[in-house]
Amino acid sequence: MREFIDGNTAIVRAALDAGCTFFAGYPITPASSILMAMMRQLPRVGGVAIQGEDEIASIGMCIGATLAGARAMTATSGPGISLYSENIGLAIMGEVPLVIVDVQRLGPSTGGATTVSQGDVQFVRWGTAGGFPIIALAPSTVPEAYHLTVRAFELAERFRCPVFVLTDKELGTTLTTVDSEALVAEPVAARVTGAAGTPYRYQPAAAVAPLHEFGRGTTVRFTGSTHDEAGFITKTLPTVDALNRHLIDKIEANRVEIELVDADLQPGAKTLVVGYGITGGAVRAAVAAARGAGEPISGLVVQSLWPVPESALAVALDGVERVIVPELNPGLYRREIERIAGNRTVIGVERLDGELLSPQQIREAAA
Amino acid sequence: MTTGAKYTRQDFQTDQEVRWCPGCGDYTILASVQNFMAEMGVDKEKIVFVSGIGCASRFPYYMNTYGVHAIHGRAPAIASGIAVARPELSVWVVAGDGDAMSIGGNHLIHALRRNINLKILVFNNQIYGLTKGQYSPTSELGKRTKSSPSGSIDFPFNPVSLALGAEATFVARTIDMDRAHTTEILNRAYEHKGSAFVEIYQNCNVFNDKAFIALTGKEERDLNRIPLVHGEKVVFGPDRDRGVIIEGGTARIVSVADVGIDAIHVHDATAASAGPAYALSRLSHGPFGPTPIGVFRSVDRPVYEETLQQQIHDAQAKKGGGDLAALIASAGTWTVA
Repeated sequence: MREFIDGNTAIVRAALDAGCTFFAGYPITPASSILMAMMRQLPRVGGVAIQGEDEIASIGMCIGATLAGARAMTATSGPGISLYSENIGLAIMGEVPLVIVDVQRLGPSTGGATTVSQGDVQFVRWGTAGGFPIIALAPSTVPEAYHLTVRAFELAERFRCPVFVLTDKELGTTLTTVDSEALVAEPVAARVTGAAGTPYRYQPAAAVAPLHEFGRGTTVRFTGSTHDEAGFITKTLPTVDALNRHLIDKIEANRVEIELVDADLQPGAKTLVVGYGITGGAVRAAVAAARGAGEPISGLVVQSLWPVPESALAVALDGVERVIVPELNPGLYRREIERIAGNRTVIGVERLDGELLSPQQIREAAA
Repeated sequence: MTTGAKYTRQDFQTDQEVRWCPGCGDYTILASVQNFMAEMGVDKEKIVFVSGIGCASRFPYYMNTYGVHAIHGRAPAIASGIAVARPELSVWVVAGDGDAMSIGGNHLIHALRRNINLKILVFNNQIYGLTKGQYSPTSELGKRTKSSPSGSIDFPFNPVSLALGAEATFVARTIDMDRAHTTEILNRAYEHKGSAFVEIYQNCNVFNDKAFIALTGKEERDLNRIPLVHGEKVVFGPDRDRGVIIEGGTARIVSVADVGIDAIHVHDATAASAGPAYALSRLSHGPFGPTPIGVFRSVDRPVYEETLQQQIHDAQAKKGGGDLAALIASAGTWTVA
């Protein structure tokens, strides 16, 4: 069976299939249809959906609900991410599993509410004080929106951290014909919870303690302040150091487990096109067109933007002399490619008027 | 209140050193709350204290319950998520005047209007203490602080009026030093179904000492405390010779002898209209003279979580539980020719 479905709807379906039991959000174009669908559908599977008084409250409610045992998601666009900032920090510090959907629109400020962009790619990574890592996934198709949302729930539980699903106005709201079989996933495993002992563990740094849910075991505390493994506020230097290194290492040291790319590498090709999100479609089309014209070329669509999939990129960069990075922003992810591309030439293809890049524009840059 | 003998105050203490300034009113409130929790008899594993940022917000570290020491102003939002996800938990919010009414004002008013089953304790000391002495949203006009060297020109909130205006179903005021009264108010808040707003006048002896002396001083307190007792005439003073009348929606302090006892307002905390409670709240604008203390308003309105659970129940009954494929095909889909 085939269906006509947009990315926002695929994300809603994925959330329900992944066992999401709590959603809170605030109306914002182009993410509102996720809020509306969750308000309608989550109660039918016994879950709770709330329209908060603003974005700050919405993500705050999600954090509270998760600590009380829910599996939570929220969805917004760039201006809402601005307001999420402090609560993203709280979720990082409190090690609260949470899925955050950012349906990107053209910025800055109100920008173009109904206009596509990939301008939040660095914002979600550095969007809260301190510079500590998060995980971000970027689907490039509707089926990927479904599967990467399910994966986001798995990663949030696994690493007890905020996981972003980064889409955009075009992917989120454009109806697309999809095979129904492409929108099926294995259930996300039930949460492993802790009921005794400390709610945090810092050694080994890359390990993650199970979440202690409220009302289910011995009393514990969560805090946005630096804290010991029991959750009590502390300024003891070795404890604070261990906490902060743990928050980094649990993600950075496990980056290979998180890496996701769609690699289409051609042996001997000297040119590699690296894209992500909605631009991934143009990358695939440009690669196919170039090969059809007898030009060797490799393509890589990055699905896990953060942490940067450096081992997959190293494989893709092997033997390549030139990297083309098309983006709907001022070259924001290109700097990550430049960082690891060594002496190779890195060429950005940028579009900032709120329209999509065409395969032809990518091929012209590669010419 | 259950006469639960299963707990004593010690059961609600933690091994953490309590770190407020010596003489801070927060110690007294902490003792009152811990004692009340023991009397309340609810399993401590079913209680959650949520705070934001400020001196008062260290509270969860000192309560042997579940706790969240969150971020500035957002405690009502985070607590709302907890209460809605797990309605069987007893969820308490502790906030200072800056936390609750400056940065967190939006979340406070929306939690109150929704009538989520949260017990919100606002420790009002009319100053920013943790950041060492700036004026707060309840600081009086003209108050000179480190951040208002020429005197504050911000008209202050009256927290009780604010809560009443935000459609709160339970609104009360008490005083840190008066532990018996605090306990009584905590119990009334606990037994109320829905959100409860409790303003606790709390002395900050370092940055705003004696702000409440009119209500706590030995010589002043009987002159200035106006006890609100449901069903009773609002009279006060050492000889109970002063009283309150409400005329044209405005409350006024009178001599009982002048107007006659029959003219004195009878307090009805359960009145359908919030008008009389609001009028009473306007008798004082800060604790500088005669000030009503007690339960201003306590009315029944559907509790958010209960209505929500009913909607979930109805949605599941209508759709026959969690048949995802069926519900997704039920709306928002089109057949394309």
